[in-house]
Amino acid sequence: MNAIKKLDTDPVASRRLLIAAQILALIAYGLGLQFLLRTTGGTVFVFSTLGPVLVGICVLILAGVTIHRFLRSHSLFSYEIFQPGEIVFQQGEQGDCAYFINSGEVEVVVVENGQEKVVAVLREGQYFGEMALITSHPRNATVRAVNATKLAVLGKKNFLTMLNLMPSARKDIMHTVTERAMKTSASQ
Amino acid sequence: MRFQKLWLAVAVALATSPMRLYAQPSRFQQDPVEQYGARVLTLVIVTGIAVVLYSLIRYRGRLTGPISWALLALGVAILPALSSGFGTVLVFERAERVEFCESCHLTMKAFVTDMKNPQSESLAAIHFKNKYIPDDQCYVCHTSYGLFGTVQAKREGMHDVFVYYTRTFKFPIKLRHPYPNNDCLKCHAESVKWLGVHGDFKEDLFAGKTSCLECHGQTNPAHNIPDERASR
Repeated sequence: MNAIKKLDTDPVASRRLLIAAQILALIAYGLGLQFLLRTTGGTVFVFSTLGPVLVGICVLILAGVTIHRFLRSHSLFSYEIFQPGEIVFQQGEQGDCAYFINSGEVEVVVVENGQEKVVAVLREGQYFGEMALITSHPRNATVRAVNATKLAVLGKKNFLTMLNLMPSARKDIMHTVTERAMKTSASQ
Repeated sequence: MRFQKLWLAVAVALATSPMRLYAQPSRFQQDPVEQYGARVLTLVIVTGIAVVLYSLIRYRGRLTGPISWALLALGVAILPALSSGFGTVLVFERAERVEFCESCHLTMKAFVTDMKNPQSESLAAIHFKNKYIPDDQCYVCHTSYGLFGTVQAKREGMHDVFVYYTRTFKFPIKLRHPYPNNDCLKCHAESVKWLGVHGDFKEDLFAGKTSCLECHGQTNPAHNIPDERASR
């Protein structure tokens, strides 16, 4: 339950879960090899009881993360709450949604040569995370909640549909994207 | 190129190793389930390990697109499920082998050693050395006829493995229940030779009123094991 809650707010958690699933799969493969190379009561017992349990956990993790990602990328303004210091997304991650700040503040942090640099602070009414959806490039900055922050999440599909359907919103967003890109390159 | 050749050599060596390590004694008796099943399972496992390691190193848990997702699904779901499937077939196959029973050294080794001893005149040894039962001798004699017999044997076998590895077994090793006549009769009954000797009281044998071991156990015990290790 805790892991699922974490998954909702922290994309790093889904990566950790997937890595854990891969490690569990490696253990399951190891049990299989052990059974093949040395068939005894113990190896058969472990392979035929623990093996399927490990595989089942792996499949559940993969299915859970995949469904979560699908729902996120098709999200239509679902709300997520972040506590101060919590990371919304990290630089270098693949983006699947944009965020609209309902309340609170976030800071946009760029990591250069291992040093963190705050390039902007965004407040209620502003949005972020749109650039990765338009360019399909990884996130170019890390975003962190400064105080308790409520964000409305718009999935990539719905975000792009909105741009197509609302030319005025597209114009405004493209203007912001250009401005932010210039600001980011200037800060580097 | 050199790396690819090395990879191929490792894969072939791994794929054939289970056959070498768990080979059957006579070439004309190669079991296709063991022969191909073990190789396929090894290839599935080796491929799975390679896919998972590649995915871990290349993507580190990130799902960046369809390829990373496909590799992840292959490594943690599809290939493990396949290996469980092939593995189950092999588990059922190998769990019937004498070598498998013998692997519980402390409890079963003495029984198997007696059975394989050409000097022994126990019933097990007589059946073994004369090839009355071609293979899987422990399993054949200690499993009742039909599907229910197999299920019962597997269930009791799992219990035995648990008792063995938790070291909760006690000497002397005993059968759970008296040896049933049916386990002898499933092979011997109604043959001409058997009818010649047992025809007069065969109904008693079928009904279990007389035990086969009442007569045969006196001259030839089922196993020749020291009393402190096992009851006869």
